[in-house]
Amino acid sequence: MVAQARGASGDRRKWIIGIGAVVVVAALVIGGVIWTISDKNKTEGKVLGPAEGASSLATDVTQKRDGVVVTVGKTGAKASIDVYADFLCPICGEFEKQYKTGIEQAINDGKLQVRYHMVPLLNTRSSPPGYSLDSANAALAAADAGKFLQFHDALFANQPEEGKRGYDKGQLIELGKNVGITDPQFAQTVNAGTYDQRINAAFQQIENDPKLAQDFGGGQSGFGTPTVTANGTIVSWQDPDWLKKVTG
Amino acid sequence: MVRPSQPVLDAVGTLARLGLAAVWLVSGALKLADPGQTLIAVQAYDVLPDALENVVALALPLVELVLGLFLLAGLLTRWVAGAALVLLVVLIAGIAQSWARGLSIDCGCFGGGGQVAAGQTEYPQEILRDSGFALLAVWLLARPRTWLSIDGWLARGRGNSTEPEADYSGIAEGN
Repeated sequence: MVAQARGASGDRRKWIIGIGAVVVVAALVIGGVIWTISDKNKTEGKVLGPAEGASSLATDVTQKRDGVVVTVGKTGAKASIDVYADFLCPICGEFEKQYKTGIEQAINDGKLQVRYHMVPLLNTRSSPPGYSLDSANAALAAADAGKFLQFHDALFANQPEEGKRGYDKGQLIELGKNVGITDPQFAQTVNAGTYDQRINAAFQQIENDPKLAQDFGGGQSGFGTPTVTANGTIVSWQDPDWLKKVTG
Repeated sequence: MVRPSQPVLDAVGTLARLGLAAVWLVSGALKLADPGQTLIAVQAYDVLPDALENVVALALPLVELVLGLFLLAGLLTRWVAGAALVLLVVLIAGIAQSWARGLSIDCGCFGGGGQVAAGQTEYPQEILRDSGFALLAVWLLARPRTWLSIDGWLARGRGNSTEPEADYSGIAEGN
């Protein structure tokens, strides 16, 4: 009798443990899946506006698209730099955060012209892929409307994370409107990916340009973002005084 | 040579179980906390088609956490140790193929991961570490009896004694 009772209680324990384990595992898996998907898609439905504290450009600063390069500055600026960046690249975001104010000040002061190159280096690194190219194309479309830097700064200020959802074309178009683009051509250019092919072609050239190759250590070198050049040579922007040295 | 006593073996097994539980709980939690980085880490191995990369990046942290919880509780220890061993072998194979193909990646074993500079790979250390974890799993696979485990508690419930030995389960039933 005693043994039977023990056996029955053992079976009951097994049931309790079994049910408990199933409940815990199910809760963990369901919760984990929901959390992962929502974290990866947190840019969904976000409405982008101008970057906070966006510096206003002087009225005689021009923003001109030439092929897939955008030149921002006043005519007659003595110094000029080339910036190669990807809207998804985290270090590019850091670079912008650190030097955006200084660069835009130098532009406003008429000392500096910046040639922005949008590079889709991390095009496969968003989920779904394609944000690097879509954002680069949209930024060129914004340049056509004379709002490149506002658009550019807003994207970096709201930079999505690698491995997660970027912003879709609808959100990019809405951002364009929010930074003051009224031309309906903008939305068409964004949707059609008008500059995609040219951006990719330029990227191939950039990647194979020995003058843009950096030393990564371990005997490897290559192109990376961000890359800044002045007078055709790479500037080490980790030096906090690099901008002063360039503008003189 | 003196054969180690049962309590000593139980103690070693308990440490192995709790140690392996900690490994999975920590590695799973770090991966789950940063889904974007986890996907980048999975992509860096460059072995799976895109759709599967997403599935693995979603499932791997959860599988690791479940293994960790079962080991922590000491539930189905032998089965879970077997599953852990299989997973570790797969992960070691993934690291080894990256090494063999000359990729420059961080394994992302405990969060992080993705491409690194050529001089910063740590393949031998990563494989050695995972092999150490695999040894813990092998121990538990061969000798799953440990202290403070639900397995032991269940075995006591079924048996007519307080001996935490799962193999005694049938004896009391016949009385």
